[in-house]
Amino acid sequence: MTGTANVVLQSGLLPEGLNVSFKLVPAILVLSMLFLFLAIGFVFRVADTENMWVAGRSIGNVENGMAIGANWMSAASYLGMAALIALSGFYGLAFVVGWTTGYFILLIFMAAQLRRFGKYTAPDFVGDRFNSDAARAIAAITTFLIGFVYAIGQARGMGLVGLYIFGDIGLPGLSGYQSMVVFMMAITVGYLTLSGMLGATKNMAVQYTILIIAFIAGLYVVGFTQGYSTVLPQIEYGMLISELGAEFSEPFSSGSYYLWIATCFSLIVGTCGLPHVLVRFYTVESERTARWSTVWGLFFICLLYWSAPAFAAFGTDLYGENVGAVYGDPGMSSAAGDVIVVLAAQLAELPQWFVGLIAAGGIAAAIATVAGLFIAGSSAISHDIYTNIINPDATQRQQILVGRLSIVALGVLTTLAALDPAAPIAALVSYAFSLAGSVLFPMFFLGMWWENTNRQGALAGMLTGLSIWSISMINEVVPTYIGSVEGAFVPALAQWMPAIGSALIAVPIVFAVTIVVSMVTDEPPMETKRVVRQCHSPEPMSQQQTAEDVVTDGGETPADD
Amino acid sequence: MPDNNTHDSTDRRAETDGGVAGQPGQAHRNTDYLSAEVNLLNPSTQFMRDHLRIVWTGFAIWFVIVFGPVTLTRLAPDVMTTQLPVIGFPLHYFLVATVAPTSALILSFWYSRKRDALDQKYGIEHQTVEETGRGGGDAAATDGGVDE
Repeated sequence: MTGTANVVLQSGLLPEGLNVSFKLVPAILVLSMLFLFLAIGFVFRVADTENMWVAGRSIGNVENGMAIGANWMSAASYLGMAALIALSGFYGLAFVVGWTTGYFILLIFMAAQLRRFGKYTAPDFVGDRFNSDAARAIAAITTFLIGFVYAIGQARGMGLVGLYIFGDIGLPGLSGYQSMVVFMMAITVGYLTLSGMLGATKNMAVQYTILIIAFIAGLYVVGFTQGYSTVLPQIEYGMLISELGAEFSEPFSSGSYYLWIATCFSLIVGTCGLPHVLVRFYTVESERTARWSTVWGLFFICLLYWSAPAFAAFGTDLYGENVGAVYGDPGMSSAAGDVIVVLAAQLAELPQWFVGLIAAGGIAAAIATVAGLFIAGSSAISHDIYTNIINPDATQRQQILVGRLSIVALGVLTTLAALDPAAPIAALVSYAFSLAGSVLFPMFFLGMWWENTNRQGALAGMLTGLSIWSISMINEVVPTYIGSVEGAFVPALAQWMPAIGSALIAVPIVFAVTIVVSMVTDEPPMETKRVVRQCHSPEPMSQQQTAEDVVTDGGETPADD
Repeated sequence: MPDNNTHDSTDRRAETDGGVAGQPGQAHRNTDYLSAEVNLLNPSTQFMRDHLRIVWTGFAIWFVIVFGPVTLTRLAPDVMTTQLPVIGFPLHYFLVATVAPTSALILSFWYSRKRDALDQKYGIEHQTVEETGRGGGDAAATDGGVDE
């Protein structure tokens, strides 16, 4: 990944082969789509925290499944996945596998238990489970960092795709790409501050529908008009593979076996630790819904992930025919790779409105995910840090104000960082996965499955995870912002603990640290253990109940039934 | 990690009537889940033993599906990259890009069905969540969680 980063900086982020100009019909399409999101956000606007964060715990199976899908399918899935497969071949499939199969682990180990725990945010779990405001603060900061790092990739995606639709809007002092990032982020933040999670959840089902139809229709039409496929492009692209460069399918040509495993593992544990994914299980009506909505969510996700490699194959072939060699020097730039989905449709000479539809799908994907991330990030600030630690007497009005301010702050930070991003979309996003996997996943997993995990263990574990992630990030990502340093500071470290897959090393270490420290310090209080037990009890709970309520209400008289 | 196969409930699996009156249903009613330790490697209630058997079975299959093909490709690249007849994929590409995500989906479906069956076996009803439940607390959650 380090090689591609340099290309990005030099190319000025203009994807070669992409038709950058203002196009009326696609612009109307995107603007009406954005207006629709705002309208839905307005209709379902909220004024209290219960609705803002967990949508009144009223969401059902399929709707939550779609929300999981939309929340999940960011620009990294819609654009970055095909980009990585096109550019890095077999290595890119580590993302397909990591980003789908991780849901099974989430389902069997965490989904139902999380619903039973039933709080508001991911840091809430950490704070309440380990009885520590320090742990809550670390988790909240991690959540905020994840939202920030993850959203940079989304902003980059929106900026690149926006170029196709709106052309160079030329804000003074900024390049075409940068202007577009600012413009798109302003819209996203605007709609987010109006609506909260309820609006966002309603929006997500709509966004999922738009993006999956756009993606799959795009794939079918490109495949059909170019003679690649007929009824099942997801399988038919297999015939094409032998005609593409050896780089497309040859194993381990652009990433070693170790890097493949490290990346895949990080994405899996990251999936199980991402706050905006975890919070989806707080919004459902019962634990059974939590389980089945995961199955639905995975199905909706698979629809896109079966199709992405096919889109990459078509795009690679079209690019090779129409623009230039895909592999070698100069080859396809990462900016062009990141819009390969739009590029494929454009190179297939499909009508402008249709290419615009595919581009709009990419924007919907990015906005839906930024929404989920910013909600998670802002609730970490307003609920976990402000309300729980700084000002326990905060009124709902104050909480919502702080929430909205932190959304704006996140938006500004993300926009600034996305003006000159360090890596392609999928790589940027996977840094966030490494972080979630290293810091939050072990806390959720051990916290849920081993009742003796205690405060000291959690604190030590989280700090270890944060340090390991930071070391690999500083080692690899900081040099891309410093012109004089080539590659990573310590190449050996980058080889064995790559930023993109640092969780492979971090997770076992964090587990060990947490367990050892928990064992040598006092056991957690009985009260906490009972909450954990309640999370695993098969006894049904009422819709608005949390494990803590049950333990404190019914716990005084054990075996009361 | 299949080291928790020392379950003692194998003989009880025969009762497939799913009836509430069966032994599992009674075991469920007699269990106080709030006094039973939670430890992934050492389940303490009959329900959790049954549940974890499903979980670990699924996990083992999942592990092979996710890391098996790529490891085999590393060990035997020539065999794994042979082109499949008809669909034209190299074997490793097909196993990773198509079979792995699909299997995870099927496994998830399988798990959720199994888990529902387990609920039924133990006579647990989810439809009536409103009336049941140990504590009577729907008052607690309406204050926006600011009560601490």
